[in-house]
Amino acid sequence: MSQTENADAEDATDATAVTANRTDGRRASTTAGETVEETRPEWTSYEASGETKVAVEDLDVHYGDDHALKGVSMDIPEESVTALIGPSGCGKSTYLRCLNRMNDRIRAASVDGTVELDGEDVYQDGVDLVELRKRVGMVFQSPNPFPKSIRENVSYGPRKHGDIETGLLARLTGRAEPEREARLVERSLERAALWEEVNDRLDDNALGLSGGQQQRLCIARCLAVDPEVILMDEPASALDPIATAKIEDLIEDLAQDYTVVVVTHSMQQAARVSDQTAVFLTGGELVEYDDTEKIFENPESQRVEDYVSGKFG
Amino acid sequence: MSRATQTALVRDDRTTYEAAAGAAVGLSGVAFVVGLAALVGAVEIGDPVAGVELSVALGAVLLALGLAVVGFGVASRLGFVDAAPQPSAGVVAAVAFTAIWFAAGVTAAGAAGIGTVGRLGVGTVLGGGAFAVTALPREDVGSTVPAGAVAVLCGLALVTGVVGPGWERALAGYNATLFGDTVVPAVVLFASLATGWSAAKAYGGFGARGRNVGAYVLIYLVVGSILAVLVGLVAFVTAKGLPGLLNGVGVGGETLVRWPFLTNGAGLLADVAGVFPALVGTVWLVIGAVLFAVPTGVGAAVFLSEYAEQGRFTGAVEVATNGLWSTPSIVFGLFGAAFLIPRFGNQKSLIAGMLTLGFMLLPLVLITSREAILAVPDEYRDASAALGVSKWQTIRSVVLPAAIPGVTTGVILGVGRIAGETAPILLTMGGGVLPAKSAAPNVLSGFRLSASPPFVSNPALLEATSALPYQLYALITAGLSGNIRNPQEYAWGLALTLLLVVLAFYAVGIATRYYFRRKLHQ
Amino acid sequence: MSLTTSRTDWRAGIERRLTRTREFVDDADPEALAVVIASMGSLLTAFVGFLLASPWTAVPLGAFLIATGYGWVRHQALVARAVTFAMTTVTLVTLGLIVVFIFAESIPAFRYEAASVFGVSVPGLGMFAQTRWDAVSDPVRYSLLPMIHGTVMVTAIATLVAGPLGVAAALFIAEIAPPRVRELVKPGIEILAGIPSIVYGFIGFTVINPWASDAFALNGGSTYLFVGMVVGLMALPTVVSVAEDALTSVPDVMKNGSLALGATDWQSMTSITLPAAFSGVSAAVLLGVGRAIGETMAATVMLAGIPRISDPLVNVFYGYETLTSLIARGYGSANGVHESALFAAGVVLFVTVLCLSLGSQYIEARMRRRLGGAE
Ligand SMILES: Nc1ncnc2c1ncn2[C@@H]1O[C@H](COP(=O)(O)OP(=O)(O)OP(=O)(O)O)[C@@H](O)[C@H]1O
Ligand SMILES: [Mg+2]
Repeated sequence: MSQTENADAEDATDATAVTANRTDGRRASTTAGETVEETRPEWTSYEASGETKVAVEDLDVHYGDDHALKGVSMDIPEESVTALIGPSGCGKSTYLRCLNRMNDRIRAASVDGTVELDGEDVYQDGVDLVELRKRVGMVFQSPNPFPKSIRENVSYGPRKHGDIETGLLARLTGRAEPEREARLVERSLERAALWEEVNDRLDDNALGLSGGQQQRLCIARCLAVDPEVILMDEPASALDPIATAKIEDLIEDLAQDYTVVVVTHSMQQAARVSDQTAVFLTGGELVEYDDTEKIFENPESQRVEDYVSGKFG
Repeated sequence: MSRATQTALVRDDRTTYEAAAGAAVGLSGVAFVVGLAALVGAVEIGDPVAGVELSVALGAVLLALGLAVVGFGVASRLGFVDAAPQPSAGVVAAVAFTAIWFAAGVTAAGAAGIGTVGRLGVGTVLGGGAFAVTALPREDVGSTVPAGAVAVLCGLALVTGVVGPGWERALAGYNATLFGDTVVPAVVLFASLATGWSAAKAYGGFGARGRNVGAYVLIYLVVGSILAVLVGLVAFVTAKGLPGLLNGVGVGGETLVRWPFLTNGAGLLADVAGVFPALVGTVWLVIGAVLFAVPTGVGAAVFLSEYAEQGRFTGAVEVATNGLWSTPSIVFGLFGAAFLIPRFGNQKSLIAGMLTLGFMLLPLVLITSREAILAVPDEYRDASAALGVSKWQTIRSVVLPAAIPGVTTGVILGVGRIAGETAPILLTMGGGVLPAKSAAPNVLSGFRLSASPPFVSNPALLEATSALPYQLYALITAGLSGNIRNPQEYAWGLALTLLLVVLAFYAVGIATRYYFRRKLHQ
Repeated sequence: MSLTTSRTDWRAGIERRLTRTREFVDDADPEALAVVIASMGSLLTAFVGFLLASPWTAVPLGAFLIATGYGWVRHQALVARAVTFAMTTVTLVTLGLIVVFIFAESIPAFRYEAASVFGVSVPGLGMFAQTRWDAVSDPVRYSLLPMIHGTVMVTAIATLVAGPLGVAAALFIAEIAPPRVRELVKPGIEILAGIPSIVYGFIGFTVINPWASDAFALNGGSTYLFVGMVVGLMALPTVVSVAEDALTSVPDVMKNGSLALGATDWQSMTSITLPAAFSGVSAAVLLGVGRAIGETMAATVMLAGIPRISDPLVNVFYGYETLTSLIARGYGSANGVHESALFAAGVVLFVTVLCLSLGSQYIEARMRRRLGGAE
């Protein structure tokens, strides 16, 4: 078991306030629900058919004193789509951020437990975060394009990893490969269902795009790095139905070569695109994890059934 | 697995290489520090170290470092270690090494007595070579060989004694001569920087990670040096000034504590010459400036952020404020001299100095107060307005109290800044070089009423008065001499007093900010 | 087309304001209004009296205090508003007064140094067309070029020190430093800003100058090189704090986006944060340049005080005079045209630094608009 201790005593004060909030929230939900249901371990001990890509064991995350994830264990199978659903604030984004260690950026966060990528512990000493994040890509909850051209946004990752050279020196020495860059940009944008809309203005600033376009650009940017695992935090939250449908197709498509983990607030979306679904409920617990069909048609947990049928959350 | 190119998250086959590179970074750091010590004269380059002169020893270290760095690059290039170099060291490194080698070529050719054209020729050839070696090969070679070669060259020059103690060269036409005592440390500093950076890159395995490590090493060095300068400055002034400041300090006697340096005036009669008049002058100066600037600045900030609509007027005020903020202090001095002096009795006076510094303080107070007021959340105002409280009541009882921490901090830091200003009061307030105790301004009991205009007068405000920074300047221009026992010690004591006064304001200001911030988080 | 629109806008604006004022006057309590008018009127009178150096200034000032004091008790809201408005105008008035007085005082020097081009006499041209400054022996000339050269030398060296070091330190504080270290470094750099310039000058005069004289076998220890380095150190905190503000204003999500793609911290800084904050960082360097230009005491104490251009031009081992040190050294003993020439030097300084300030404000405003558009 390894851990990162980024917690900072000073931030304990911030976190105290958060805890107070959260305790209230939980109490409120227990009083609303008639019976308090115990989460049974077998509900989450789902064994997927494929080989395990990411294995998460006893994951605990604290923000200061706030316990945001409680002992989550789940294995994510390779080349499939795993959906994470649950009410707001239940720790879905937190969970996602543990997989590529973006939580390291949050001062107050401390992570305990193991996360293994292809059997290698992600939280052990000496892990090269750059290597990890190349292999585990992420699309954020709100679009965050760089204030650069669309083309530069897409080719940013490959450039930084030295896969594509565009610098002055590279051009002077003939190592630059503009066609390869152009092909990569086109392919990535096409997969993200954005190519049609922007192919005539690749050199415009990406901040000029609409919110939905920006989100798809961020997806394209992530695909250009060609990661093994793609983490998507509500990729379709800012999209209209047509673009959403495109993204959903894309996700299904991606599952052929990639391991996709997608957070969504839309039950329909989870049901449509995912192979297995994990349900988090308030308090940072993983309540049930199973085949998507099982979760939506015949969940073990009463709370999950209420949640997916829209009774609470 | 689907992907053939999968890489491990942890590289574990590079530990020896990493250790060696880390050691090279450390050794470069040591060489840097020794070079610095030699530059400031803490050690002599002629001192014997392990049987040889220090400069030769340093040369040997540079030589070893240079060779090691080249070795790191070659080892990586030949594939002995698992590094991730990029195809080229990049244009920044290429330009830097071109410049370095061009300069080295010109210098060396100049030393060999070649003419200007020849020098430029040699420089161009070496610079071009360095560019090619940096830019064309893979990054591991490009970022080690030119750096290592610089260090080897410098090391050779020192080891062979081409440059060493006793070496000197007149800079023709520049009215200056270079000596080994300064050139050797400079060479060591420079070469150790190059090897340190290069070894740090090797430590990171070149590529993106290597560049990260290399850049961090340089940035940490920069910040470390800045802090070292700060600490060094304060420590130096303290060490030099304490004897003067503490001269004759004692407990007991007529008063509880005797501190003659702070309570005496200057003059041969006093057993210990002191800075009392200047200290009092500074106190009054600060009080005057604060009385003028703080109400004005805070009031203006209130108007700007609470009453005025964002428009041309507020824009103009903002531009004017920022303009005033960056106006040089000597220009404020000129303004005070042209505007205030003719209106206050045509001579340098305390009140002219107060107002001049007040004008300088005004933009500082205005900017920080405005920030503090804008930082008060709108919910406070809305909540208050929703209760039917009038706008002014809201400002007075909600906005201003919430903004007080920010305003206080800003005012204290601003005061610290103006308390040390010399240029404005040099032109407006003047004062003596070594004022006697009687020259201290007596403002409080100086007010007089009269039947004729201007009805109120205060001679203390209208007299030239000394202040700490001005007195220090006056002492320097007087050549650090005067009718006191030990002018040098006196001047350092004065400098320390001034520094302590100003730093006290800063310390209080920073502590206030810290205190309020902690309170806010609770 | 756009001109007429803007003019109608302008008219509409005035009309709107007039209506509002009228409504306001109608609404307000007549007594309160009278008090405010009395208070503001007497303040204005006092100001005019002060400008005219009248000994009677105290009378309207007293009237202002009484009217305001009475109003404060009876009609606080309105009086507060009027008084804060008056305080707001103080900055504008101060800037205006500085411009008027410094320019007015410099007129004789500009007249004296008139030179004719194509038969047209241009006042002040002589200050920049020849290089002799000699206020004592004939021919008495007041060229500012030697001092401008000195200022340029010192500022260039100071910028070379403060620019890169300042930006590196700002990057460190904003991006690299662990929280605890930041809590230490930030105040440290602020304190550096607090060390009075005369203390730097004193150390320069008693320590650096003798050392330089010794280490480079100079005639006297004054060098632009070391004055520039000291001034650079003094300008450093300005660069650091303004650049750090700019860097921290870049949204965190942008940096996270870069890191999540597997870019290193350094890559994210150089490719995302620095370009996004580029305007702010350049504004910081500009402000630092402004500080260096205006730095007075260290230069005055450390420089030789000879108004001469060094030969060769870039010889950093000489240290003659800068615009600021010329004023600080010469004021007081100068009179007549000589004193006016010092004001002319002040005008050059003031205008240069004001332009730098305006430039950096423009750049910063543009950056704010750009980043604002990102949201
Ligand atoms: N940076 C942070 N600092 C402190 N607490 C945080 C931080 N980020 C999240 N939290 C807390 O952790 C808990 C889980 O947050 P998280 O963002 O993971 O929820 P989520 O399931 O993604 O919600 P949503 O569906 O609204 O995005 C919340 O209670 C939140 O307050
Ligand atoms: Mg979320």
